[in-house]
Amino acid sequence: MRRSSFIIVAVALASVAIFLGAYRLTGRLCVTHFQKPADDLAWLRLEFRLSDAAIARIRQLHEGYLPKCRSYCEHIAAKQRELRELVGGGTNVSAAVEQKLGEIASLRAQCQAEMMRHFAEVSRTMPPEQGRRYLAEMQRLTLGFHEQIEKSMSHESAAGHGHD
Amino acid sequence: MKNEFQEPDDGKLRTILRESRPTPPLPPRFQQAVWRRIEREEAESPAGSWLARVDQLADWLLRPHWALAGITALLVAGVLAGAVSGIGAVKQAAQERYLAAVAPNQVR
Repeated sequence: MRRSSFIIVAVALASVAIFLGAYRLTGRLCVTHFQKPADDLAWLRLEFRLSDAAIARIRQLHEGYLPKCRSYCEHIAAKQRELRELVGGGTNVSAAVEQKLGEIASLRAQCQAEMMRHFAEVSRTMPPEQGRRYLAEMQRLTLGFHEQIEKSMSHESAAGHGHD
Repeated sequence: MKNEFQEPDDGKLRTILRESRPTPPLPPRFQQAVWRRIEREEAESPAGSWLARVDQLADWLLRPHWALAGITALLVAGVLAGAVSGIGAVKQAAQERYLAAVAPNQVR
């Protein structure tokens, strides 16, 4: 191999090393600099570039909302335990099981409504554009989750089960 | 036979002959032109052209100002890509934390 070829290979390797070195180092620095593990609201600050005053207002709403959310979650978890006990090892869906499923769905719907109210409230404390973006993003992340599952299920059923 | 014609005055004769037919001076940059022509002919053959390009590239890469510019460009690109990726990762982790707080999996 000629000297020139060695030079080109060495330069290419050095280039990859320089790029990857800079990439990894900067990535790590960003993570250590920007990550605030103790703050739930860090994402809002990062994503929506909110001022300290806006974050303080949102923090108040957030702290007011958390106990409600926790309480709903505890209720849902309790109902799910009851449901598991009812289902047991049985193979039939009894009326009691159906009723429990209805209760869980109702609790979940109440919780989701509370959640949507909270999102709307938070969005109103933000500047209008950020508020709209926040609301859309939260709806996508929370309600969209079910939509995706339902869509995938309906595709599967159309292909596999022949549901209309 | 040849030696028969070589007289001791042969050198003198040669000088006289040279003086009678003076050689014109070489055109300016004659040597450079010759080298350029040799390089061009080498470059015109397929193997020569490829090797010449490799040599050219190697020479070009080793020039200090190009090397410095290349290193700077790589560093800048690496830093920018790293920053974009690092901030993306931080945002992703922060988003997951926020979602876990306001919309636990149970209610989604």
